[in-house]
Amino acid sequence: MAYNRENNDSQTGGRPQVRRQFFRRRKTCPFSGQNAMKIDHKDVRTLSKFVSERGKIIPSRISAVSVKKQRELSVAIKRARFLALMPYVSG
Amino acid sequence: MNLYETVFIVRQDSTSAQVEALAQDYIKVIRDHGGEVSKTEFCGLRTLAYPIKKNKKGHYVLMNVQSIPAGINEMERLMKLNENILRHLSVRVEALDPNPSPLMQQKNFQIDRARSFDDEQDDLPNLGEMERE
Repeated sequence: MAYNRENNDSQTGGRPQVRRQFFRRRKTCPFSGQNAMKIDHKDVRTLSKFVSERGKIIPSRISAVSVKKQRELSVAIKRARFLALMPYVSG
Repeated sequence: MNLYETVFIVRQDSTSAQVEALAQDYIKVIRDHGGEVSKTEFCGLRTLAYPIKKNKKGHYVLMNVQSIPAGINEMERLMKLNENILRHLSVRVEALDPNPSPLMQQKNFQIDRARSFDDEQDDLPNLGEMERE
């Protein structure tokens, strides 16, 4: 569905082409399957990959995390923010 | 008997000895309730992501606890009353991890700047008009 949206945006013409490199997302959730990463609220390095520059949590339609894992991930990120391991707002 | 992971942050003014003494106090509380603390990590002074009560750094301590709920409640109650502890969080887990936690391993934390998600969001035409005003 994201690919369709991309095509519509090229019709409106207002957006730069930055989106295409961004929406080349993974097909599988990085937390599911064998050798998956574990979601740990203390593991700042993994969590920071799913957080934007400003510190906002990236939606799963962009990061390709499955629904259940996205919920666990967001709980972990909020715990890390509470423990001052990650900022609420940065930059 | 449930398994918990507790992390708490001690003020930067405290010395390491005081931090360890504090941890020992809580270990005693847990033992009094019949539980045990299997791992204690003193992750040292870390810079906080945002200042808490004007402190920019804090001593992080991680404990793996096996205890009845009453023991954990008592420990949390004492942590709330202690003015040297800035934050505490106890999480119930299914299995305790004996390896050093990411807190110890990732002393230098950096946020990956690969995401351009924010730039996309700010690219909305409405916001651009408001900025011109």
